[in-house]
Amino acid sequence: MENVIIEKKINKKIPVKCKNKSNFIPIFMISVAILTILSLFYLNIDWVKLFSRVPDMGHVFWQLGHLDFSKIDLIFSSLLETISIAVLSLLYSLVLGIIFGMFAARNIFKIKALSIFTQSFFTFLRAVPTPVWVLLMLVCLGMGPEAGVAGLCVHTTAFFTKSFAQSFESISDETIEALEATGAGRLSIFFNAIIPTALSQIVAWAGMRLETNFSECAILGMVGAGGIGFVISSSLKGYDYGTAGVAILLVFIIAYLIERMFVRIKRSIN
Amino acid sequence: MKKKIPLIAHDLKKIYTIFAVVVVVLFIVCTILTNFNVMSLVSNGDAFWSFITNDFLPPKLPKASRIPGVLSSVLVTLALALSSTTIAAILAMFVALFGSEKVSPFPKLAKVVRGFATFLRNIPALVWAFILFSSLGIGTGVGFVALCITSFAFMVRAFVETMEDVSQDCVESLLTVGGTFPQRVSQAILPSCLSGFLSWFLYCVEVNIRASTIVGMVGGGGVGMTLFSYIKNFQYDIALSIILLIALMVIVVDQVTNILRKELLK
Repeated sequence: MENVIIEKKINKKIPVKCKNKSNFIPIFMISVAILTILSLFYLNIDWVKLFSRVPDMGHVFWQLGHLDFSKIDLIFSSLLETISIAVLSLLYSLVLGIIFGMFAARNIFKIKALSIFTQSFFTFLRAVPTPVWVLLMLVCLGMGPEAGVAGLCVHTTAFFTKSFAQSFESISDETIEALEATGAGRLSIFFNAIIPTALSQIVAWAGMRLETNFSECAILGMVGAGGIGFVISSSLKGYDYGTAGVAILLVFIIAYLIERMFVRIKRSIN
Repeated sequence: MKKKIPLIAHDLKKIYTIFAVVVVVLFIVCTILTNFNVMSLVSNGDAFWSFITNDFLPPKLPKASRIPGVLSSVLVTLALALSSTTIAAILAMFVALFGSEKVSPFPKLAKVVRGFATFLRNIPALVWAFILFSSLGIGTGVGFVALCITSFAFMVRAFVETMEDVSQDCVESLLTVGGTFPQRVSQAILPSCLSGFLSWFLYCVEVNIRASTIVGMVGGGGVGMTLFSYIKNFQYDIALSIILLIALMVIVVDQVTNILRKELLK
């Protein structure tokens, strides 16, 4: 009799799974799957037609591969314009972002209403995609780099304000208190304690934003502003695939270089 | 003893100086190249204000018959973003397994996989959309594919990094006891990386909500297309209410994903 019981105990598998694991992840995954299937039905995409055209895609890529360097001077000048718009908007928003970040951080002026107002205003600006701002700026300012810089600045400043405010707030209260005890004013505390401490984070954010700004700037041409995007979209529309291929390749190379540079900088800061 | 004690370390000061010089040089070069002048913004200030106060404010609702169409276009944008991200995430998970040298059964191919993902990622979504429009024609399906490509490439990179961040001990120990590749994946990698994967997935949904609005503007359908048509028709007051709607959509999605992410990482 005893033997049987022991055998039963031995035969029983030791459970490997943790019993009181939360079941949030499975529920989450199942609901995402259901929502995805529902939205695929809602979108009602004509898959047959789409897949029947896939061979055309190979054709387009084949054409894009035949690089055509005859318009290289146009491509280069518009690429330079795009890069300068990206850099300029980054620099202007850096300054604006530091100023507004100062208002938005709760530990600098210690006026609650001011920081809440600034933060919610910039949350709204950030929520609207950049090309919308650029389109509106195009209407206000007319064609040209001004619209591009101003439109990009709106979104970039909003982004910087939020992230800089976060970096400023992560500075310990003791530092600020120590400076307050020496009788330093709000502004001198900001410039002598908070900016130097947050500088490495500011550089990291700026590098990350340069990447996004460049790719957004390449996009802007397609909605009507100048730059490399305009070259790409107009030559694709005109079936001038060789030129488009060169332009896309250059966009890729620049974006890749910016990414590598940023990785380097991040490593040397840490 | 009149020499001042330097407050900043010498080498640090050097870095700051180089940084400042580079910034100033870049600023000057770019300003010359684009002829950008801040004063032109200031001098255009009147036109600016009159545009905002006359054309833009107050926001006006579109015609009552159009409202259901606008709302359904918002739904299209949301559906586009969610479904393309999910499909891209499923594909990216399988590919990412081959992109990490420590996990992949063919470590030599890992570099190739990552290089391919880098190539796809560094070309903006809208450029993909344009390439695809010229081959597949305009429509929601093309927007879907374009969003899939960029978010797929982004998630391959993010997933590979997540897998390499997680300690390799379990993978190695399973390898020594003779675990096969599927066993290693299902018993070591999935349990430890799943919440990280899902939080990247949520981030990608946030990004794609914006991107699908933009892709819509050039012909991918959705709320972007609606907004673009109102701007083109100079109905800026209606455009403003659609912009507010887009902002509301993005903020709500951001809040929801934030809550979900907090739950996930608990």
